[in-house]
Amino acid sequence: MAPSRYVGILALVAGCLLPPGVLALWPIPTTLETGTTALTVSSFFYFDVQVEGAPEDLYEAVAQAQYYLANDKFGRLVVGRGANDTTALVSAPTLSTLTLSLTSSATAEPIASEAVKPLGTRSEEYALTIPADGSAATLTANSTLGLYRGLTTFNQLFYYYAGVTYTLIAPIAITDTPAYPFRGFALDTARNYYPVSDILRTLDAMSWINTFHWHITDSQSFPLEVAQYPGLAINGAYSPQEVYTASDVQYIVQYAGARGIDVLMEIDTPGHTSIIAATYPDYIACFDETPWATYANEPPAGQLRFALPEVVNFTASLLADVAKNLPSSYFSTGGDELNTECYTNDYPTQLQLNSTGTTLNDALNTFTEVTHAALIAEGKTPIVWEEMVLDWNITLSNETIVMVWISSADAAAVVEKGFRIVQAPSNYFYLDCGAGGWVGADPSGDSWCDPFKTWSEAYTFDPLANLTEAQYELVLGGEQLLWSEQSGPQNLDPIVWPRAASSAEIFWSGQQPTGAPLNVTEALPRLQDLRYRMVQRGLKPIHLQPYWCALRPDACDLTA
Amino acid sequence: MAFSRHIFILALVAGCLLPSGVQALWPIPTTLETGMTALKISPSFSFDVQIEDAPSDLLDAVAESQYYLENDKLGRLVVGRGANDTTALASAMTLSNLTLSLTSGATVDSISSEAIKPLGTRSEEYALTIPADGSAATLTANSTLGLYRGLTTFNQLFYYYGGVIYTLIAPIAITDTPAYPFRGLTLDTSRNYYPVSDLLRTLDAMSWVKINTFHWHITDSQSFPLEVVQYPEITINGAYSPQEVYTASDVQYIVQYAAARGIDVLMEIDTPGHTAIIGATYPDYVACFDAAPWADFANEPPAGQLRFALPEVMNFTASLLSDVAKTLPSSYFSTGGDELNTNCYTDDYPTQQQLNSTGTTLNDALDTFTQSTHGALIAQGKTPVVWEEMVLDWNITLSNETIVMIWISSADAAAVVEKGFRIIQAPSNYFYLDCGAGEWLGDDPTGNSWCDPFKTWSESYTFDPLANLTEAQYGLVLGGEQCLWSEQSGPQNVDPIVWPRAASSAEIFWSAKQPTGAALNVTEALPRLHDVRYRMVQRGINAIPLQPQWCALRPDACDLYA
Repeated sequence: MAPSRYVGILALVAGCLLPPGVLALWPIPTTLETGTTALTVSSFFYFDVQVEGAPEDLYEAVAQAQYYLANDKFGRLVVGRGANDTTALVSAPTLSTLTLSLTSSATAEPIASEAVKPLGTRSEEYALTIPADGSAATLTANSTLGLYRGLTTFNQLFYYYAGVTYTLIAPIAITDTPAYPFRGFALDTARNYYPVSDILRTLDAMSWINTFHWHITDSQSFPLEVAQYPGLAINGAYSPQEVYTASDVQYIVQYAGARGIDVLMEIDTPGHTSIIAATYPDYIACFDETPWATYANEPPAGQLRFALPEVVNFTASLLADVAKNLPSSYFSTGGDELNTECYTNDYPTQLQLNSTGTTLNDALNTFTEVTHAALIAEGKTPIVWEEMVLDWNITLSNETIVMVWISSADAAAVVEKGFRIVQAPSNYFYLDCGAGGWVGADPSGDSWCDPFKTWSEAYTFDPLANLTEAQYELVLGGEQLLWSEQSGPQNLDPIVWPRAASSAEIFWSGQQPTGAPLNVTEALPRLQDLRYRMVQRGLKPIHLQPYWCALRPDACDLTA
Repeated sequence: MAFSRHIFILALVAGCLLPSGVQALWPIPTTLETGMTALKISPSFSFDVQIEDAPSDLLDAVAESQYYLENDKLGRLVVGRGANDTTALASAMTLSNLTLSLTSGATVDSISSEAIKPLGTRSEEYALTIPADGSAATLTANSTLGLYRGLTTFNQLFYYYGGVIYTLIAPIAITDTPAYPFRGLTLDTSRNYYPVSDLLRTLDAMSWVKINTFHWHITDSQSFPLEVVQYPEITINGAYSPQEVYTASDVQYIVQYAAARGIDVLMEIDTPGHTAIIGATYPDYVACFDAAPWADFANEPPAGQLRFALPEVMNFTASLLSDVAKTLPSSYFSTGGDELNTNCYTDDYPTQQQLNSTGTTLNDALDTFTQSTHGALIAQGKTPVVWEEMVLDWNITLSNETIVMIWISSADAAAVVEKGFRIIQAPSNYFYLDCGAGEWLGDDPTGNSWCDPFKTWSESYTFDPLANLTEAQYGLVLGGEQCLWSEQSGPQNVDPIVWPRAASSAEIFWSAKQPTGAALNVTEALPRLHDVRYRMVQRGINAIPLQPQWCALRPDACDLYA
């Protein structure tokens, strides 16, 4: 009996000796120095914004940080949840102020304007210092966006026990700069619809993820209200209630911008457009054709007749009309999974090709040039899925950004062609994988991208695999994605969180502060911390493990 | 182009011509006759309970049914969600009344007492008739439990559009009897804790698909959230926190709430494995407590199992189980018995000393332990329930009445039945709701779920309860259940991970076949399951979408070969 009990006690002691502060931060900062002094947050704590002409959204961000500081009430993830910290807290100094300031040459612009600047020109870095003696903490940055990032870090540092908000690891000195400019999360709101409130909650949780890639339409529904083409949503949304109105979109974009998030909207073309036929039947080939599997990767079949001049013009006009209302510098025209069989027996397409003596590839080239030109004319940089580069021979602007999705193995081929890429490989980053087949009459069918991608599998993704050093800079970043064939508002939180935080750390941190590569064993306690804090803030992230494990770092490792 | 449009119109027409009412019911009744007449619910609709001294839980059930009737507001799952029904409704007759009565000779007991009768002695059958002319609908049964089942069916029949509650398939005549007496759902509340409100909501959803057993795996090695009055420290030291406890009064409330919904609570205190956390209170009772590497001593961390060879541990366990069981109205109690790790005892000094001094084997000790703990339960009037290893891996004497749960594989059912035991089908390869979520252990990024892949509703639905059994053995299959083990689940995802998938086994074990006599079929079932799922959402359950809504509105259009 005695030996068994010692094992238990040793495990407890080991838990206490772990550097508890390091458990707190996600993504882990570029540099991080911590001490071992307890520091409590004063009940009169305030954020001192020493920024001349501070924009309104910075004040809102400060108010939000104040709210989280007061209301997270998050107990440290150790047995007792902080009950053993009370002795150290009795004599602890008190922190009363965090001073926010911009570096001397910086101008105070709204976070929302900083957040939508072109990739590579945003300033997200910040420095955060918290002395151990209770003197004012300081947060400095080159932009309000950097201050915003620093506030999210500040909020992750504090725990709560019995009325006291505190840290045990003062003094703290952090400097932090993202490794990659693009850190995204993609949501498909067409297969199933998500109310605006669900999207706003998701934007809150994204915080340090700086791009909301909004796959807003697809073959199944067209929930986007477009003022110039009202029929598309009237006939294409699942119902009048399941629509993103123009004002909804503006609200979402502004809400995102104030949280440092750029909204990258995607209207996927020329495939993934079947439902447009409910309004413009002449524009769609193989509409609802059966068997659907011959004409599409999933039902319903139907793709734009991109060879027809009127369809080219319609699409260019549609995309430009939507894009010009958005502040982002980017817009995605999609371009994945184009099914050629759909056009083989499509009379209008074949007539057009024959009468002009062009090939389907030529027609796609023209279509893409025109639609992209319309976007470029609105000041947008086009984004496409990888097939536009790998499967078709079409001319794209060198500025075009290509998203790699089919496999992580495809990144090298795209980069080889000189394009900048966003890493969104299904074999690491698809959040919907592993939920089984969803088409009917197929009880033994599995998910096409089995298995489920755990947070840790996603976390082992190497953004630079198979690339030469000279090509590294073409990797803008990456994103995890939720396709919604089997998802909706009912499971949004648990299927996304905390898993989508994996890529956030890969692309923000890139490595550990020590310079060591990211490591799942080191990361898990921090991700648990993030997950439980999310719960405190009203999100519904899944459990990664039994709570028993969350309270005992490493005790549930494979070989522990 | 014209050609394409014709296809679209044909698809729409085909959707309208499907027998729309059949889409409504889950589980599908034993016999079902429907017509093609529209019938509206009167704004002054009333349930007429023609039962002398009707018990209060029946009146509560009627009030609940009235609430659902008015508030489900479920639009029919067709394009337009019922907009095309308005013409038919303009001239439709109005239904004002559902009369509930018991067959003559039936005794009037509460639903709650009917629900906890021994398996095989409950009366769940009912008959429901809804004339097309607006005259009173009737629901009759042999028990209040049967009436309760009929009410859940009644509520599934009606849709809503533009302020009107209606059906399009009157007249309707249904008679309905469950194929199997046991239809369960298992929830593990130990690996992660679920607040009482989540359990109550889950019980509500279970009742809607006529699941009649809540198999409550309440404790395990990670936490002991059950308050036991005689052993308070087990919970004080074993619950995750004082807030994460099911108090004795919580349990009573849950049991009563369940019973009023026709659900028996089968509690499980898993022994002698799955008990590590008892070591926090009684360190002398638990072998290999928190020993490392845990993988040598347990299937998952933390290691730790009862020292079942010690007389004091046997007495403690028998007393603990019986103290808990005697507060519960169910006729059943599960002592678990799965995944016992023998390596845990190899170097355990107290166990080895006891075995050596008494000249017994580990198997003998387990036999004694089980007879003692089961004896204590039987003394409380409970029939013991165990996991399959107790029969297949160990040579121990069990009462013939013992019910055995199959979990490791559906292939194991035959071997257990061969030994003459009654079984519950809970095979992981069909019914484990937690499978397919990837590895949850740390430091194993390429690890997969041990029971990969995810079990879709349709994979579960193809389970054959009688596979590999002889006809003479069929009577030993009491039913089955789907199970949620909670290593990766909690209140945050309980709705989407359970619903609507757990309805699959509900239909297998209630209906067993289609009213036509044909075998259950995933293609026939999917539109009805969509209906259940969307109705659940209307009632506040976060059930996952099974497909894009485009598919839900177009039955069969998203089938593999459509």
